[in-house]
Amino acid sequence: MSTTDLSRRRFLAGSAAIGLSGALGGCVGSGGSNDGGGGGGGESAGSSGPLTLQSSAADPQPKAALKAVVDTFDGPETTINTVAVENFRAQLPTYLTSENPPDVLTWYAGSVARDYASEGLLLDVSELWEGDGACAGFSDALRELSTTEDGTQIFVPTHYYWWGVFHRRSAFDQWGIQAPETWDDFLALCETLLGQGITPLTMGTGSTPWMSSGWFDYLNLRINGPEFHLALLSGEHSFDSAEVRAVMDEYAKLIPFIDPNGRSYSWQEAVTPLVQNKAAMYLVGAFFTESVPSDVVDDIDFFRVPIIDDSLPLAEEAPTDGYFAASRTDNPAGAKELMSHLAAPESQEVYVAKAGGAFLPTSTDVDTSGFSPMIQKGITLLEESDQLTQFFNRDSSDELQTTADTALTRFLDQPDQVDDILAQWQQAAEQVFQG
Amino acid sequence: MTTETAVDPGTVRRSANVGPRRRGWIFHACMAPLTLLWVAPMVFVLAVAFRSFDDIAARGLGALPASFSLDGFSTALSEGAIGRALANSAVVTVIGVVATLFLASLAAFALSRHAIPFSRTILLTMLAGNLLPPQILLIPVSSITQSLGIYDSLFALIVVQVGFGLGFYTFVLHGFMRSIPNEVLEAAVVDGAGSARIYARIVLPLCRPALAALAALATTWIFNDLIWALTVLRTETKFPITVALLNLQGGFVSNWNVVASGAVLAAIPTAVVFFAFQKHFVSGLLVGANK
Repeated sequence: MSTTDLSRRRFLAGSAAIGLSGALGGCVGSGGSNDGGGGGGGESAGSSGPLTLQSSAADPQPKAALKAVVDTFDGPETTINTVAVENFRAQLPTYLTSENPPDVLTWYAGSVARDYASEGLLLDVSELWEGDGACAGFSDALRELSTTEDGTQIFVPTHYYWWGVFHRRSAFDQWGIQAPETWDDFLALCETLLGQGITPLTMGTGSTPWMSSGWFDYLNLRINGPEFHLALLSGEHSFDSAEVRAVMDEYAKLIPFIDPNGRSYSWQEAVTPLVQNKAAMYLVGAFFTESVPSDVVDDIDFFRVPIIDDSLPLAEEAPTDGYFAASRTDNPAGAKELMSHLAAPESQEVYVAKAGGAFLPTSTDVDTSGFSPMIQKGITLLEESDQLTQFFNRDSSDELQTTADTALTRFLDQPDQVDDILAQWQQAAEQVFQG
Repeated sequence: MTTETAVDPGTVRRSANVGPRRRGWIFHACMAPLTLLWVAPMVFVLAVAFRSFDDIAARGLGALPASFSLDGFSTALSEGAIGRALANSAVVTVIGVVATLFLASLAAFALSRHAIPFSRTILLTMLAGNLLPPQILLIPVSSITQSLGIYDSLFALIVVQVGFGLGFYTFVLHGFMRSIPNEVLEAAVVDGAGSARIYARIVLPLCRPALAALAALATTWIFNDLIWALTVLRTETKFPITVALLNLQGGFVSNWNVVASGAVLAAIPTAVVFFAFQKHFVSGLLVGANK
């Protein structure tokens, strides 16, 4: 008893000693870093102070790719600070409103960035879009995406990706089927697959309920057209309308083909049935190839969501990622310098090559001939399109996305309640637009 | 005297051993499956941690392991920087626990042994602060740390942890110190000891069981805290283990082996503390049980 007592006492004394030394070290460490970030950057150092790049690219490959790009930056010393995207999304308002915000941040183009800009939280980067600025040569669509209502640019887009119906080439060969051309072919194909005991569609709407908006967006684009779609998302049309009702009728036809287990999967987990050939197709963004085992990636192919009404302009979802800077940054010149570097063709080329997922560069000066055949096909897909949209949340807001998640996941469970669901969706949406 | 025996860890263990050594087969038949059910998630996490990504992606998360790989651990340690996060957690936890208990014992000593006006009100106010759900204090704490200029430092996290622990620990120690017989302290006064001496030489040693129990509880609470760390930190290199795990999960969403490995690594320190202080956990649950 006395020996165990002694050893326990010694253990406690030891941990207390460690604690004390840690206490001293901790105080020194935190004090020092605080001085560096708070006092030093602002007044004295001026425009040459160090920069912080707050990044939501936490997946290993994009993270490494971003590091490779920033390593070649010869401006102010830049620290990349990676926070996983769900966290990042929740903390973004705090980052931007804090006294000493991160200088440059990764995020999405379009209405999300515009919302922050309208609160005066984003740095005006119009000079990058003029003359020989880094973004001056970008397409008009990208310029429009990065521009606020008052005509200033606040965003620097660096890469985007496309959505499509992905499948395994070998599985399609094995089942003797081909990518469908028309919507009727697509439905018939799903019917055939279901008859053979194969789940036609996989979709992970458990912890990532926003996936259910993928089909909604596409059906709305194919049935009502991009103009109506964007107007709907900005509150000009009602969700409880005949047009949306038509979309839901078509969506209801898909429900029997969608893997019911997907209601408890995340989008990543929904990849597994596809890889195992238990499910045939997956409507998802090209980023999903990161979650595909390395020996299957080359077997992945995709086709365009079939056209339903060919009198409408052909639209595709092409979410655009990039960077904006906090208006309260200590070093606006440095922030713009860093953003110019991130948008430069060489940087984009490095990023796309290393980021793993199938990303497309926004700069027209990037040599795309070295990219994989699937990326080439993605580029063609978007070039053939008349109009590009982003995705539900990026074309509206994260708040409206929540209303869509509620409505659509309920619709997946109770398609016969569609009237009630749409009425409630419209009610929830009105609150978002008023608030 | 009564309190002494109640929280003496030896007593607790001895009385547990007095119970029937052999139990009926019905007991075992019922408890064995329950135990298995209880252990299943941990076994599952361990099994996933040692599988390779390709195995998990190709055969599913629930499949029996068909591969053995330490990739998950090496990725979690290198890419996820779990080692650095554990060091941050250790700094915050050790300093936090030592500082809280020191301050709480001082406060409890003063409140229980000295005639302080409104001592009861002070004590209840401190405790009342603990009854507020931390969620409603997130934004105030975030902006206060920002205006003090300590936002995004481990120091801020330690201050917050100490501040929020203080009320409860003071309350528990106060109750404990009040039960120390007055005669002991009076004898010390007669021998010429001042307040500081009585605190250091008489009260603290007598409070050792309570302090040990509270230290064990506080260690797990601070180590496992996520919400305050999220509130006051934003730089990756300063994240403690809980936030780092969340980050790891966000970055390696489908790499279940990496996430599971990170979770296993994160659980090791708490498990070690639990086994080292096992008796104190039991007595910790009994603190204040017989007043």
